[in-house]
Amino acid sequence: MAAIAAERYTGASIKRSEDPRILTGAGRYVDDIKLPGMLHAAFVRSPLAHARVLSVDVSAARALPGVVAVFTGAELEAMTVPGPDALMALMGWAGPMPEFTLLATDKVRFAGDPVAVVVAESRYLAEDGCELAEVEYDDLPPVTNASFALDPASPPLFDNLGDNIARTHSRDEFGDVPATFADADRVFDFRIGVHRHQNVPMEGRGCIASYDADLGVMTVYAATQSVHVTKIAVAMRLGMEQDKVRVLAGDIGGSFGLKIGASREELAVAAASRALGQPVKWVEDRGENLATSGQAREESFDVRAAVSNGGDLRGLDVKMVVDTGAYPGMGAMVPGIVQEMFPGPYKLAAFGFESTGVTTNKASYVAYRGPWASETFVRERILDLIAKDLGLDPLEIRLRNVAPRTDPPAMMVTGRPLVGVTTRESLDRIAHLVDFPAFRRRQADARAQGRYLGIGVATFIEAAPGPRPPGGPSGPMGNEAMRLRLEEDGIVVLFTGQMPHGQSHQTTLAQIAADEFGVPFEQVRVVVGDTDVVPFGLTGGSRSATMTGGVALHGARQLKVKVLDVASQLMEASARDLEITDGQVLVRGDPASAIAVGEVARRAASGQFGADVDANLEVEAMFDGGEGGWSGGSHCAIVDVDVETGLVTVERYVVAEDCGALINPAVVEGQIRGGVAQGIGAVLLERSAYDEDGNFQSATFMDYLMPTACDVPRIEIEHLETVPLDADVNFRGVGEGGMIVAPPTMVNAIEDALSPFGVRIYEQHLPPARILELIAAADPGQ
Amino acid sequence: MVDIALTVNGAAWEGSPEARKTLADFLRDDLNLTGTHLGCEHGVCGACTVIVDGRAVRSCLMLAVQAAGSDITTIEGLAPDGGLGTLQQAMWDAHSFQCGFCTPGMVMQAVAFLSDHPDADEQQVREALSGNICRCTGYQSIIDGVLLAAERNRER
Repeated sequence: MAAIAAERYTGASIKRSEDPRILTGAGRYVDDIKLPGMLHAAFVRSPLAHARVLSVDVSAARALPGVVAVFTGAELEAMTVPGPDALMALMGWAGPMPEFTLLATDKVRFAGDPVAVVVAESRYLAEDGCELAEVEYDDLPPVTNASFALDPASPPLFDNLGDNIARTHSRDEFGDVPATFADADRVFDFRIGVHRHQNVPMEGRGCIASYDADLGVMTVYAATQSVHVTKIAVAMRLGMEQDKVRVLAGDIGGSFGLKIGASREELAVAAASRALGQPVKWVEDRGENLATSGQAREESFDVRAAVSNGGDLRGLDVKMVVDTGAYPGMGAMVPGIVQEMFPGPYKLAAFGFESTGVTTNKASYVAYRGPWASETFVRERILDLIAKDLGLDPLEIRLRNVAPRTDPPAMMVTGRPLVGVTTRESLDRIAHLVDFPAFRRRQADARAQGRYLGIGVATFIEAAPGPRPPGGPSGPMGNEAMRLRLEEDGIVVLFTGQMPHGQSHQTTLAQIAADEFGVPFEQVRVVVGDTDVVPFGLTGGSRSATMTGGVALHGARQLKVKVLDVASQLMEASARDLEITDGQVLVRGDPASAIAVGEVARRAASGQFGADVDANLEVEAMFDGGEGGWSGGSHCAIVDVDVETGLVTVERYVVAEDCGALINPAVVEGQIRGGVAQGIGAVLLERSAYDEDGNFQSATFMDYLMPTACDVPRIEIEHLETVPLDADVNFRGVGEGGMIVAPPTMVNAIEDALSPFGVRIYEQHLPPARILELIAAADPGQ
Repeated sequence: MVDIALTVNGAAWEGSPEARKTLADFLRDDLNLTGTHLGCEHGVCGACTVIVDGRAVRSCLMLAVQAAGSDITTIEGLAPDGGLGTLQQAMWDAHSFQCGFCTPGMVMQAVAFLSDHPDADEQQVREALSGNICRCTGYQSIIDGVLLAAERNRER
């Protein structure tokens, strides 16, 4: 690779070091790994949404040549230990804890629930074996929606719970809710729903588990957002000591929140490998991915808003119900984050929030890029509905309600300081980049010709990492660790618990460390994906820019101090007079004094300095997020709605976003565009659909429609970097914002386009058929 | 098992794959050419696209035995000696990709398209790649990479 000429790597769109491999087919994804003696697993899955399992007969499957073993749910139960969902355990969940097994034993709870695993010499043979399994079921009434699940008469999915409540009802109030509503000029009531859709990484879930019976060591090659969380999950469920489990990961084909810990199938594969003493691979196919890996977002909100006649949003009172699907995990926990984030950047005086989570006979709720995003959808949707009613402009109502940036900072009514939030600036930038008056004239002209254009604006903030809690002992996202070492060949190695799956960490972290330490970019290596060598970490929650970028910066600084201490012995100069530039240590202003950092490392390793000098050129760094801060931004879409066909075309999409200091603008913009594309897909195309019996209706890409290159427009992005809060680390997370705010931006634009028909929109999924229904049902008098 | 002979990335191959084995599985399992990825196995996502006798083909929808006598190019054979071809270099320069899973199919589809349409404009490139799904990028960076490659090809 040619050396990159740049004054500073940080802040430049350095080309990714990941790409030469990826572009030549040399990526190493989990399905690309072959181990000697490796077997292949496939799962027998329930065709029914809800049923008792009467009998499982796998004798014909076992007899099939090429099938090595079949494990039923009961057999798997005997091979593993019961335990909670790893993510729930990690997050300290204290709510209802349903009891279930890795593979179904007594009952199945969604169409696709695994019942048995067939292990064979090839995936083809394993699937042949699945075809031969005979499972007898006794149908139970399916619980396919939240309102039935809330009915005490609905048949409970989990016997130990006795009902279908996955998160018990809770209510919290901030500020004086009754007084705020009593004093309001206007009180609005809305019921807003968000539909079920899902992550759909291009690579599904998968793993290879390889148990060495002689050593008693389990090695798992995983596709995961955290090798350590996967290790913990495997150790817990297999009843192994954690040091006997090693998890490795290479390239990962996307995740968006799906691949955290280890799924029931992956744990079953690990148990099968232990039982057989051979490596077992399972890589899900697309049908399994869509039907069984997990789905997100199906939530409903009853919202009351207390508003002044002038358009001041004074209070909100929200009742949220989340449909967690069959096996509770993230879905039961997500209302807590929704509650905290619901006020957004606005100066609410009072806020009431209650939530309930229910189990249903559908695939389990999983984290999907901005899992709490419905708070932004609902808030930004009702602001437009209120504005319409009061005759206000969408920009105007937002600017009117945004909390001003003051010192001390305004507080969210839910308790966090809105320090450094640039919502007003990003809205102003949108107003500058998009000529609204000109659009309104064009819109009027188009309408006169029977064309329906619309403009939509929405804004969000994300706690990535969030402000430092005032007076708090720890930072906003806990700690992030990194080990850094200077090798004798001059390479600076960073060991991180981040597990990139598209985020470009091997490039971005190297940029930061190269600048801070003083070596060329090519001289930094980022090591990921091996529990034996990387510290604990997780890629998720948009944490890596601040947390890992920060620990790379501080770690490189600490390592540099050590290297300069050794060099000062070597060069007989004070460390204060030394610097590292372009991989050379030199006395400041004296180029002739330069020696390569690798030479310093070699001399340190030689032992020549004796016990008084710390010659171990390795540091364990820790970063608590510093002062942290908010990410955020405002988006604007202009759409063209064909009222004959219901087709929506996105004519223009503009983003003004603030993720603090940019590490690599091209990487940042890729994250934003990718999130916006998912948001556009969520609104116009994607839906995880079930029929009333709980049959899954979208198990192929002919049914679950993904946005293509013709659906996603060119996205214009402007960066704001207005408010540094920390002395050193002002990179903020940008992974989720696009997906958080694109859905309300799109729906606001569509409603605006359809305003001549009096259409009001209280939902998120607007495929052509639904657009036509909305037009047909609307009251043009509105 | 069916006896076949074919050429993959310039090398002749003879053998007897199982009749039901897809071309994609054959390339990945029998020839260890794991650059060809499987994203849906029902012909929609395009991740498994390879070039068969000059045409972009979804190797998940074709059986290995149907490729008997064919000349196949996979992502591994695009640029010899581990280097980057014009399109691959342009896609690197344009920050085209993130997770990399759709990449081989996207590259092969674009290579086949550009060889037939060296002067394609943005809309034509978008339509040509609309059968390849990427979940990470929103496509713009990929389209930019293809357009950059076309421009460099024309400047030669």
